[in-house]
This record gives sequence, structure tokens and C-alpha cells, in this order.
Amino acid sequence: MDEHSGSAFAFEGSWKEYAPIAFSNLLLTIVTLGFYRFWATTRTRRYLWSRTRFIDDSLEWTGTGLELFKGFLMVLALIGLPFLFLQFGVQALVIRGMGGVAGALAVSAVFLIFYLGGVARFRALRYRLSRTYWHGIRGGADDGGWKYGWSYIWKTICGMVPLYLMVPWSMISLWNERWNKMSFGPHGFIAEAKVRPVFMRFLLFYLAPFLLALGVFAVLATRGTWVGSTFLHTNYPPAIAFIAMLVIILGVYALLGLIALAYYAAFLREGIGALRLENIDFRFEATTDDWLKLFFGDILLVVATLGVGWLFLQYRHWKFFITHLEAYGEIDLDALTQSSTRESRHGEGLLDAMDVGAF
Amino acid sequence: MIETAVWHYDGRNANRWHPRLVGDAASFRLIGEGWESGPWAWVDLRALDIAGRDAVFGHATEPGWRIGFADGVIPADIVPLLPQRARYGGFIDRIGLGKASMAFAAVAAAALFVGLKAPGWIAPLVPQSWEDGLGDAMVGDFGGRICRTPEGDAALNALIAKVDPEGQARTIEIANIPMVNAIALPGHRIILFDGLIAEAKSPDEVAGVLGHEMGHVEHRDTMAALLRQLGLSVLLGGMNGTAGSNLNALLSLSYGREAEHSADLSAIERMKAANISPLPTADFFQRLDPLDDDRRDDKKAGKDGSVESEAVEAANWFGSHPTSRSRAELFTKAHVKGRAYTPALDSVQWQALKTMCKRDRNVKPAMGMGL
Ligand SMILES: [Zn+2]
Repeated sequence: MDEHSGSAFAFEGSWKEYAPIAFSNLLLTIVTLGFYRFWATTRTRRYLWSRTRFIDDSLEWTGTGLELFKGFLMVLALIGLPFLFLQFGVQALVIRGMGGVAGALAVSAVFLIFYLGGVARFRALRYRLSRTYWHGIRGGADDGGWKYGWSYIWKTICGMVPLYLMVPWSMISLWNERWNKMSFGPHGFIAEAKVRPVFMRFLLFYLAPFLLALGVFAVLATRGTWVGSTFLHTNYPPAIAFIAMLVIILGVYALLGLIALAYYAAFLREGIGALRLENIDFRFEATTDDWLKLFFGDILLVVATLGVGWLFLQYRHWKFFITHLEAYGEIDLDALTQSSTRESRHGEGLLDAMDVGAF
Repeated sequence: MIETAVWHYDGRNANRWHPRLVGDAASFRLIGEGWESGPWAWVDLRALDIAGRDAVFGHATEPGWRIGFADGVIPADIVPLLPQRARYGGFIDRIGLGKASMAFAAVAAAALFVGLKAPGWIAPLVPQSWEDGLGDAMVGDFGGRICRTPEGDAALNALIAKVDPEGQARTIEIANIPMVNAIALPGHRIILFDGLIAEAKSPDEVAGVLGHEMGHVEHRDTMAALLRQLGLSVLLGGMNGTAGSNLNALLSLSYGREAEHSADLSAIERMKAANISPLPTADFFQRLDPLDDDRRDDKKAGKDGSVESEAVEAANWFGSHPTSRSRAELFTKAHVKGRAYTPALDSVQWQALKTMCKRDRNVKPAMGMGL
């Protein structure tokens, strides 16, 4: 099957069609004290996937709310209970004057959570692929991600040690490691993302301290201050000085956010652009401008609707992702046979629990 | 006899087939060019939510297996054999969104009610040995910070004999920690902090606080509060925000207004039985109430010479207890005019208690408590 045009992926949903799902999800989540959220996530995904066309047919989400719920329970058992126990245990040890043991336990707890965070990242991707069908074929991974958890620890730490200079390397390297274990049908993904294309963007972060210093200086200037032995005096009325200060502080934050956005845009372009599946090459073409529009669109939507728009952010983000996702190449339908990877029985609860900032 | 055209994914490769569906009311076969599959039972079909106008069905046990009716056109004789599309999932589809929401809301309200009340019901059922073990595991001997001198112990025992004549508490001890605080620990244990003894102007005030904590022990409030906190942290996916120190958590355990009131009543009862005046306790409450403006002024003037930080103030006994003048009034009202009250301790005993932590050379300093 040939795909000549650049629109192998297309999003065909509409927010009016999605609205009943969003509102009923909210209602049910509230009256069940949050327990419905696993089923709500599933309904939302089923809708978004089914409105995502790849070449001639839509994707299909076959995950269930129950398995997400089981994933959540697993998190409680795997991390929550030991964590609670450790928390109580560490304090008990400190009170008894066994600070050393307590410290060791606390450090190992942090590492355990760090490790499981890496594993969770891997398994979330695997779970999503294994529940995504196209033409009756699904993806997955044979690997459980337990080794990836170790890579996640040492690469993250190595990335931060030399003044954070290696962070792009650790992110790209982990991205490749993760995707190279994934497959769709019989074909493995091949990820060959390079550090160089994202590194220059990352260097922008090192301008941040200078921007910060500049910002602080400007803030002080609006209030009048001693610099060295000279008193900088301003004639602005206090209100204007205050507004100027606010603008400058917000400006520094905005600049930092902008750098992060620019870096992330480059990262995803490189990451997805270097991804291959058999004869298909992927592209992700969202520029920093596009991300900015998405970001400010989100804010505007939420503010203008007094918060109701929050329900539609997931929809917007998926639409954004699919709209900028492209694929080129050929698919041999006969050769695209069913995936032989094991299906994990539980959802990505591990990641969900970490993503909501549970720690 | 049923026969119609469908499209089909077999779940083995990605080709879309266009077989004929041939069957009866129980099952059907798919017949393509040069291939045939089935029989497939109608009851195994699952309606899928797919974009576009096609009506698509999957199979309960065959991953990726699909049949689709182009443009949603389904022959009339097949329609009753096909399953309905699930919308919200499970029983919500059967009884409808409105009724299901109300049912859920009712269950949620009941669950919240039970969740708040259950710890009070369960706590008395927890075996005493478990609770004792838990209390010992949580704090042990306070890392050697329990003060002991022969005279001090004798004075403390004299006080205990008055406030807890039946010996309901397993241990009542004084810890070398300069905080104005007292806690009832799991396992029928009470710890009075040295800071509280230092702040008290008479043994009667200490007796009042001790009596109050005895009330918590008697009613097993600590266990109930622990259970409540545990339940809440599990329910909320837990762990958020409570990652602070566990002793602090114990100190700030809230027993609820009802439990505090019963503990006050218990204290008054105990003091009445021991012929201890409740007035000093009322005064103590008034004096140390953080909301009391007079005291604030005292502090500013540096009258008592101690500079308490806000953090220490927040961690004191009054930080975890309802601060209202009504509590002081409760104790004031319990005072019987003209009655000949006796002091909880004589002045020698009181001095022994006050200086116990200073005199004890083996006691560890309060530092490193993680407070
Ligand atoms: Zn109390």
C-alpha cells in the first residue's frame, strides 16, 4: 500500500461529539469519589483512537477501565504500602536514635521509587501499544522494562552530574532504548535519535541564570536600590514600579518556559523523526510556534470557559499530536501479522500514579 | 438462513477481507474466496465504538478479529442477534446514566459516612497486644529521652495514682523535649514533654492535661485517629503531603471535637475524684491559648524571657487541640466553691518533677528528633 501524500495520520473527531463523553465522565467521576476515572480514561481514549485515521482505517483502543484499576491497586501494593511502612519505620528508628539505619532505609526507598518510575515509563508505552489496534493488529513489547529501570537510574544521574550538560544525551538515549524494545505486529521499532539536533536548544537553558540576574537587577531598579556605592533611584510611582516588577518576574518565568518549550519541541521532532517501523518513517512537525499556540490556546480556553475547558485539554493535546504526526513509506499488509508479544494484564497504573504527583 | 456481505479482519494479518456471512440464529461462518472460517457464535460478538458509519463487531476471545457492516446497514434478521454498544460500561448502561449517578452518589455518601465513623467502631476491636506493639514500634523508649530520677519517678507515680487510679495507662512518662506538649500514643501510653512541665505553674495544671490525655487513652482515640488517617491516605492514593515526620503526624492527629470534649469531661471527672481543683487547668488553657491576645502581648514584652518560634508554637499541645475559651469555661464551671481542694502534689514532689529532666544525667538531649 502506497502512501504518497503527507497525511497518513488524520484526526477526524469533533469537540461537539466528544463533549457528552467529557461531561458524563466528569459526573461519574465525582459521584464515585474518583473511582470512575479509570473507566473515564478508557472511554476518552476509545473515542480519541477511533477518530484517528491511519491511511485507510482508524485506530482502535481495546484497553479497559478494569485493567487500569488493577494497575492502580498494584501501585498501592508495590509502592504505597512499603512506602507507608518505611515512612513510619524511618521515624521510629530516628526516635530510637538509629539515624544511620533510618538514613540508609530512606535512601533505598528513594532509589526504589526512582527505579520503579523508570519501569513505569517503559510499561506505560508498552501498555498503550499493546492496546492499540489497526487493521486488527496490535503492538507491544516482549521486554518487561526491568532492565530499563536501571538504565533510567544511571543515565538520569549521569546526565545531571556534569552541570546538567548530559541531560539531552540521557533523554535521547533513554528514548531510543525504550522504543527499540517496542514493536507493532511482527516488526520492531527502530529508534536512532541523535543528541546533536537537540543539544543547541538545550544550551539555551544556560542563558537562564543571566536572564535571571538581569531580571533581578531590573526588579531592583524599579524599586530603587544600592548597586555598589551608587543608589539607583527611580521616579516611577509605586503602582507602576510594582506592575513593572510583576511584568519582569513573569517575563523571566515566561522565558524559562519558552526555552523548555523550544527544547521539548526539538526533542520530540528528533525523537519521532528518527523512529522507523519496517518500511515506515515517522515525522513530527510541530514547531516551537505550534507548541506556543497550543499552550496559550489551553490557557485561553480554560480561562474563557471558567475552567470547563479543562475537560477538553486531553482532546486538544491528542488532536495536536496526531495533526503534526506524519508517516511515509509502505506497508505490506500480508507481512503485518499479529503481534506475538505477551499482553500485560494490567494497565499503566504505575505511571498514572506517578504522573499525578503522588510523591 | 442468514446471508449477507461484511468486511473482516482475521486478527492474523492486516488484510481486510470481504467474505459472505452465512449462518443461522445461533452461529455463522465467514466464506471468502478460497477460505472459510467459523462457526462463530453470535453471543461472542462485542459491539465496538468505531468512527465512521460502519457498524463494527469484535470477538470476545479472538484479539483483532472484526466484522464490519458497511455504512451501518445491517439486515433486519441479524439486528436482534447483535449486541448493543456499551457506553459508560457495566451496569451503568443497563439502568441509565441518571439513575446510576444517583446510586453512585448515595453509595459515596454512605462510604464517606462510614469512613469517618468506622475508625471509632473498629478501634475498640483492635487487640490490645497489637496496639501495644504498634506504639512500642513507633516510638520505643523515645531514643533514651525519657527522664528518670528516683525522686522524680516517685512524684510522677504520686500524680498517676491520683489521675489514673485504676492504672488504665500502660506507661506515663516525661520526655526531655522542650515543647509544650503531651501525647497519647497507641498502646495506652502517655508522654508528657518537659516543656509542658516547665510551662505549668502548678502540679494541678499538669494533672488537668494528664487527665485529658487519660481520656484519650480510655476512649482509644489515638487508635481511631490512626486508622482514620491510614484509611484516608489509602483512599486518596495516599502519601501526598504526609511525608513529613511521623511523630509530628502523631502530634497533629486530630481526634475531632467530640473526642476532645469527652476527654475534657474525663479529665474533670478524674480531678473531681482526686479532689484536685480544675481552676488552674482552666487558667493554663487560657494562658497558653495561641489565639489569646493577652498572651501574645506578654510574649512581645518578653515577660517570661523565652522566645518561642512560630514553629514551636504550632507544634505545641494547643496547636492540635481546639482552641476555644469554652474549654477553659468548662473547667471553670466544674469548680465547686468552698470545696477544700488538695494540691495534686506537694511542693517537694512538684520540684522533683520539674527538675527531673535536668537532674537525670543519662537522658539524651532533645536534638535530632526530626522535629
Ligand atoms: Zn486532646
